[in-house]
Amino acid sequence: MSDQHDIGFTVNGRAVTLTTSATTLLLDALRGPLGLTGTHAGCDTAQCGACTVVVDGLAVKSCSVLAVQCAGRAVTTVEGLAAADGTLSKLQQAFVDCHGLQCGFCTPGMRRSAAALRGRVPQPSEPQILDALEGNLCRCTGYTNIVAAVQQAAATRAGSPA
Amino acid sequence: MSGTAMEAGRFGSGRVVNRIEDAALVRGQGQFTDDRSQPGELHCVFVRSPHAHARIQGIDVDALRAMPGVMAVITGADLVAAGVKPLPPVAGFKRPDGTPAASAARRALAHEVVRFVGEPVLAVLADTLAQARAAADAAWVDYDELPSVTGVCDALAAGAPRVIDGAPDNISAQQRHGDAQACAAAFDSAAHRIVLDIDNQRLAPTPIEPRAVQAEVDPETGRLTMWLSSQMPTGIRNALSDLLPDLPKDKVRVRVGDVGGGFGMKTGAYPEDIAVAHAARVTGRPVRWRAERLEEFTAAVHGRDVISRAELALDAHGRVLALRVRSFANTGAYAGGTGVAIPLLIGPWVSTSVYDIPVIDFDLNAVMTHTTAMGAYRGAGRPEAIYLIERLMDAAARELKLDPAELRRRNFIAPSQMPYRNPMGQTYDCGQFERVMDQGLALADYAGYEARRAQSQQRGRLRGRGLATFLEWTGGNVFEERVTVDVTPDGFIEVCSAVQGMGQGIATSLAQLAVDVFDVPLDRIRVVMGDTDRNNGFGSAGSRSIFTGGSAVKVAAQRTVDHARELASQALEAPVADVEYAAGRYTIAGTDRGIGLFELAGGQPGARIHVDATSAVGGPTWPNGCHICEVEVDPDTGEVEVVAYASVNDIGRVISPAIARGQIDGGAVQGIGQALCEKVSFDPASGQNLTGTLMDYAMPRVDGFRAFKTAFDEATPCTVNPIGVKGVGELGTIGATPAVVNAVVDALATAGLGRAAEALQMPLTAEQVWRALARRELPASPFKVS
Repeated sequence: MSDQHDIGFTVNGRAVTLTTSATTLLLDALRGPLGLTGTHAGCDTAQCGACTVVVDGLAVKSCSVLAVQCAGRAVTTVEGLAAADGTLSKLQQAFVDCHGLQCGFCTPGMRRSAAALRGRVPQPSEPQILDALEGNLCRCTGYTNIVAAVQQAAATRAGSPA
Repeated sequence: MSGTAMEAGRFGSGRVVNRIEDAALVRGQGQFTDDRSQPGELHCVFVRSPHAHARIQGIDVDALRAMPGVMAVITGADLVAAGVKPLPPVAGFKRPDGTPAASAARRALAHEVVRFVGEPVLAVLADTLAQARAAADAAWVDYDELPSVTGVCDALAAGAPRVIDGAPDNISAQQRHGDAQACAAAFDSAAHRIVLDIDNQRLAPTPIEPRAVQAEVDPETGRLTMWLSSQMPTGIRNALSDLLPDLPKDKVRVRVGDVGGGFGMKTGAYPEDIAVAHAARVTGRPVRWRAERLEEFTAAVHGRDVISRAELALDAHGRVLALRVRSFANTGAYAGGTGVAIPLLIGPWVSTSVYDIPVIDFDLNAVMTHTTAMGAYRGAGRPEAIYLIERLMDAAARELKLDPAELRRRNFIAPSQMPYRNPMGQTYDCGQFERVMDQGLALADYAGYEARRAQSQQRGRLRGRGLATFLEWTGGNVFEERVTVDVTPDGFIEVCSAVQGMGQGIATSLAQLAVDVFDVPLDRIRVVMGDTDRNNGFGSAGSRSIFTGGSAVKVAAQRTVDHARELASQALEAPVADVEYAAGRYTIAGTDRGIGLFELAGGQPGARIHVDATSAVGGPTWPNGCHICEVEVDPDTGEVEVVAYASVNDIGRVISPAIARGQIDGGAVQGIGQALCEKVSFDPASGQNLTGTLMDYAMPRVDGFRAFKTAFDEATPCTVNPIGVKGVGELGTIGATPAVVNAVVDALATAGLGRAAEALQMPLTAEQVWRALARRELPASPFKVS
């Protein structure tokens, strides 16, 4: 029995097929054959959240999900938000405006966790934001400006001043 | 193409601007080292020692070499045979008996002996990562286990296992500073003597991006190109050239892409860097390696880890007469220059801090143990030094029944004493410490504290307040920087610097300084770093980048404008004195005849204006601050919560306000982490690292304190560099730790423990705090040295 499996799923709205081993992590499938290096590897124990992506609307740690588990599912990564003309999304703009990133390594994971939250709760309270980001570590910013960025993006979406 | 002066002025120094780094990073288009891949690359996996101390009796690699995809297996013996030298040991220090400082030879792969859990022993190279891991798992190394020691006090005890034979007491180096006799006399005559035994615990810097290294050799030229996540590319290049055989400096190029946090952990060359480079040279294929988090916790440098007995002598009015410190710092198994200089020299430079203390007596020791090597971690010695003096000052205030701010006020160095030479021979150029404290007290609403404490009490919480007034030393002791500037007709100005971005936004700050001179919009400036073929220098550490790198950019930019003015005068056929520059254009004064800077560049040979300028600042800078923290303690659980934090910081002129604030607040969260939850722990019996994952090493998370009140006082610009700037990167970390701990001690002292609360040691876990409150059980002194 071959260890290689053919799987089909969508990544950032685009259908992809991948032939890969059953043991391939989603993280490695994204960063390797799919060439999407925006999702990062920061630890071995699913603690840091740098690998966070969204699968069928849920924030998951791609270091702890097998690629084969994503067959038939919709995966979105940090690259997926880019507008064709390069305009930043409200959340991206909020991160820039609020100085919500320093080295930028945890940022994709933070953004994906925030995006999954937005999908469920368009106007999250601060406790809901903290709960959504609890699984994402940042060593640079001290978190203040990250939370502010998520709040600003929600406010902008609601049409109220940031 | 050229903006108006007003438009450019919106982006110059002092303004809040969107960072130029963010466009790529926020889109997930960062170029971190592990994001690169090369055709034909080999994956490297290290086999590491599971023992803290052992002899390597035998290694069987034949079976490994036969495994699928395995291209090479490299041992320590292979490196010795190939002429690869060990990393440089500590130099310039002495043992107590006057012999040169002791250190074991640290090889890129261990040879004959392993000295800490996690030390690299084999490098396995295979076509895929899975194949390399499978082979590494199958590696068989025959170890003969030896006794080991991990704690400094245990290492000093009679009969302790030795790290190397040349140092039977395990002391690598010792330094005495000050005047022991004068100090003893001061203590004899003192009205008050305060003694504290302090454990400044071992920490793991833990940048979220693990180390990553890639190496490839050009088959035609033999030139080695390295990509790695490092703060100091030139240092890496020099180390590779020094340690690898037949590799002159011009045969090595080091490139650095985006760095996901450094904090000092990514400054020096690591064994893995040497091993990966060697592997690329012997296999002829590109080689890549990324550290797993366990490898970072066990084999990347740790910080702090020093045990001290600190004593303060004061007169009846609370004036400090003398400071005496005896300390023992852990160097780990391999005492390197950085790991020894930090506790013996760099930290002590600021031990008397902002206070006018006339007499010191320091007995500082670097001790070897079978643990990970120690290195720089945000603050690098200054947090340890400031922690001691600030804990002492609060204890003295408690003893003398003085307000902690008042005690400090009686001891500040006055502005009239500047420039001030401290007892370690360091000269502070300027500082207004009392002024900064007064602003800090106001920002923290110091006067309103009692009302807040009463409110906390009504909610069943103990409240405490802690103060830290302090300064720190910045610069890395290297003050010269080279900058090149290239102006091109496509309308861009490329500034190349040898400092290194790692998240601190230095490219943006340098660009703002360039805008000050060139008077063009920010998006006309491109900042290039991280290529040893383009520029060389010390790199980024010790909070030096903005004041050394920034001063050099300002000088180079000004030289470019001046040089281009001469070119313009030729082009316009007018005397230089009549040529003015503004907003990207040279004009003849009083006329509308002129030429644009970029057009001028296009007309030059090579179609560019190129300036190469090396300049130096006059010395280190002494940023300083007043940090005030309030905590609440739940007496039922011992949990500590930071509930207020205000700081006023003197970093001289502020170039990039949002970036500077991010450095203070982000650094403060690291300092809070040391105070409350972080610690690297070893099992004393086996030497195993007990905190090797993020499940065990407690990092600050998003639900921690975030409501920082952070202000800057720009009234005291630095006088030894042309931009008036003082370093900022480490200031928040240095101030936060003592502010938080002083607050918790205050809460418990006020709750009835009195001065007994000063026995608390970091991290202030809920268990320790609860035991103190509920059972009056306090930790025994960590200073178990005779």
